[in-house]
Amino acid sequence: MAGQALYRRWRSRTFSELIGQEHVTQTLLNALRAGRIGHAYLFAGPRGTGKTSAARIFAKAVNCLEPADGEPCNHCSICTSINEGRALDLIEIDAASNRGIDEIRSLRDKIAFSPNECRYKVYVVDEVHMLTDPAFNALLKTLEEPPPHAIFVLATTEPHRIPLTVLSRCQRFDFRRVSVPNLLLKLERICAQEGVRARSEALAAIARHATGSFRDAESLLDQLVSFGVEEIKLEDVERVLGSAPEAVVAGMAQAVISGDAGSGLRWINEALDNGVEARQLTREVLEYLRGLLLIKNGGAQLLSVTPETEKSMAAQAEALTIARLLRAVRLFNGAGNLLKTGSHTQLPLEMALVEACLPEESPGQAQRGPGTVAGEPGAVSAPQTARAAAAGPAERRGPSSRTVVSGSQASSRPASGHVEPPPEPPDPPDLNPRLEEKRAIPPGSTKEASAAGETQAPVRQASVSADPGLAWLQENWGRLLQAIRPKSRQVEALLKSCEPLKMQGDVVTLGFYHGFHRERLNDEHNRRIVEEALSGLAGRPCRLESKLYDGNRQEREKETESSRREELLRNPVVREAIDQLGATVVDVQ
Amino acid sequence: MILGHDWAVDLLLQSLARDRLAHAYLFAGPPGIGKTSLALYLARALNCTDPGPRPCGSCASCRKIGQGLHPDVRVLDESEGEGKTAAGEPSEPASRRKPGIKISQVRELQTQAVLSPYEGRRRVYVLCDFQQANVEAANCLLKTLEEPPGSVVLILTALQAEGLLPTIVSRCQVLNLRPLPVRQVRDALRSYWGVEEPKASLLAGLSGGRIGWAIRASRDESLLSNREKYLVALEQAARLNLTERISLAQQLSRDPSALPEVLDLWREWWRDLLLARSGNPGALINVDRAQAIMADAQRYTLHAIQSYLRAIERASQQMDQNVSPGLAMEVLLLKLPRVSTEVSQV
Repeated sequence: MAGQALYRRWRSRTFSELIGQEHVTQTLLNALRAGRIGHAYLFAGPRGTGKTSAARIFAKAVNCLEPADGEPCNHCSICTSINEGRALDLIEIDAASNRGIDEIRSLRDKIAFSPNECRYKVYVVDEVHMLTDPAFNALLKTLEEPPPHAIFVLATTEPHRIPLTVLSRCQRFDFRRVSVPNLLLKLERICAQEGVRARSEALAAIARHATGSFRDAESLLDQLVSFGVEEIKLEDVERVLGSAPEAVVAGMAQAVISGDAGSGLRWINEALDNGVEARQLTREVLEYLRGLLLIKNGGAQLLSVTPETEKSMAAQAEALTIARLLRAVRLFNGAGNLLKTGSHTQLPLEMALVEACLPEESPGQAQRGPGTVAGEPGAVSAPQTARAAAAGPAERRGPSSRTVVSGSQASSRPASGHVEPPPEPPDPPDLNPRLEEKRAIPPGSTKEASAAGETQAPVRQASVSADPGLAWLQENWGRLLQAIRPKSRQVEALLKSCEPLKMQGDVVTLGFYHGFHRERLNDEHNRRIVEEALSGLAGRPCRLESKLYDGNRQEREKETESSRREELLRNPVVREAIDQLGATVVDVQ
Repeated sequence: MILGHDWAVDLLLQSLARDRLAHAYLFAGPPGIGKTSLALYLARALNCTDPGPRPCGSCASCRKIGQGLHPDVRVLDESEGEGKTAAGEPSEPASRRKPGIKISQVRELQTQAVLSPYEGRRRVYVLCDFQQANVEAANCLLKTLEEPPGSVVLILTALQAEGLLPTIVSRCQVLNLRPLPVRQVRDALRSYWGVEEPKASLLAGLSGGRIGWAIRASRDESLLSNREKYLVALEQAARLNLTERISLAQQLSRDPSALPEVLDLWREWWRDLLLARSGNPGALINVDRAQAIMADAQRYTLHAIQSYLRAIERASQQMDQNVSPGLAMEVLLLKLPRVSTEVSQV
């Protein structure tokens, strides 16, 4: 066959041709020169880095009749027979096809025979990671002590799948990804010898796309040569790869910056119509965004782009905040993953672009926007109205009472609007009444809350919204439980058997019905879990107080249940279930 | 004859003429755009006996390949060796078999490949949907794929190169086939399959450039009528109250095998809304309903459209992960923005 693929025709034939793996070739050459040949080698490394080639070169080198300083001569009868793939003593085994124990047994049976014409029988076991476990084990003894005329070379892309017992019997050589300059060197060599003309930027694009694999680079070059163009240009490479011109990518980035989803979608659709591939485009956008990120963080010298491009990129980087940039990177990255798995066309990419263009919205806003998701308004609006109801008075009162009572936590939550005088101010006249009221139910201190507060549960219940801290606590109770659940189910259960009583400053008071529960929660470990979760929710350090609650539990529960039931009945989803489906409320949990 | 993919056909014929044909190709692209057809085209070109431009399509060799009778051209796919399901029919979900080429099939290929061709010039193996082949089978092919016996050409097809082992991809010349331009599909439908005009445009638009799908739809009325049914359901759903939506979800999920299609249709619909809302009405898929889409699009914010697309995405993922279809559909329908008088402004 005249038309043999480039990567087969230009397989390296000597160690010196094997570019970019000097750490391997040098060691092997030294061993060959010194005549210290091992009996088992393992070549591991990514695809297309020269493992199989190295194995064949090694087989030639140990058997060559006229070796030159360790290198095979490639002229003698043995070298040529190996190069032509007809040597009887180079046994290349496809371990992925012959992966069973039977194949290994037959290998073991034959290995005792001495070589036909060479000094050594070389067994190259390629894709060795696919051997089955029994097969590996059957190989162990032979691998450890083969007959003197046998050498094993195992080659694999996935060394981690090889048993340790096999690894420990081999000399291991790790092949590295080939650097772009080395790939370029090889590509240029091939072009020169094949008589192919290629622009250097085209070759550079090929080398970049090959991600460190000779074979990938050579396959791509092969494909370009097949086109039969006079000279390989950058456009040809782009067309074959389905990659987008720089203008498209820059245009999309600009659309993200200016929040213009329409023009961004136009760029995408135009590019795809022109044969650009959605995944490739996503990758390039990501690469570009990475460039912006580098510029933004003062790493511009890491980029390999022309000065003009860098200038325009710098301008774009200027217009974006790091947070938005990172968000865009995340979105496009997600799109890339979706494109990888699914059979979708360009939809994930389009969605990522639109989302990156939209201003970041907090979930709350998103749901309140016009024409939003309907099921949710129903489900969400109930808590929302409840929150509004609770928050309303609380906020009106909040700032004043808070500043007066405990000065310390002033700024952690928005103090709605008007600037309060600093803590402990000369009481403004209009605050006085509320202040009085506050003091009536003892504030601030820690030992108080007992008598007045709890014995009259109904009062407390009614005045829920009078205590902003407690309102917040009740509001966030569910979230607190949720935050604790992954850490300790036990603590979560404990919290379910108590009631939040009060939150004053950074002291949270919980009321328990049973002394046992209280003791458990006061346990150092459990206590820390709750305090951490609380602090996380509140955004400031919180301390936990607990006390025994001496009210009648069942009564309280009845009350809360009836109030919850009422609240539930206001929920449109529940109402609809009752109206349309004839549901009844059996239990409220 | 191959529709579209001119550059790929060019490339292959060029390399054939210059004797630079690779021994392994990977044709990647979405389903129904003609990957296997292109592979068979290459097989014909390789084995055509006509002295003129190859493939002639009329010599004995070409005809045999067309009918799947040529001894040197083999198409390996998962359904090989068992009763083939009719095209377009949903395969029964109960079958526990994993799809994809098996290691035994690859081994059989390897033993045959060393033989010289019976009557053609080259032995051609087409391995379909190789992304479904299991790891063992893929690894088993590696060495053969790298250095096959002299007269063998291996052609793999897959949805995309990323789905395969990198070691497989690096051994092949990868041709990424793209969907055809919609115009070309329409013209082809009209001139070769005798589809009348409004329908041809519609099918072409809906196919998104997947000619195979368009041809199937032109023969199979149910594809179109189903689309009608599901889109109407979607439009209605937006006006229903919660209870009615739940019962609609139950009704739709009675036939779980149809749900992927439903979700695809809905996804396309909402993508059209996205395009229309952001001012790109040129690229709509559902061309026959452009007006409805334009009107609908104004009812939602971009953000709402975006999040509903995500919801559809999620639902289809969940169904892949074996979530109860009824439940997934309920959630999806409950999330559907409601079209009512109060929220009709933008």
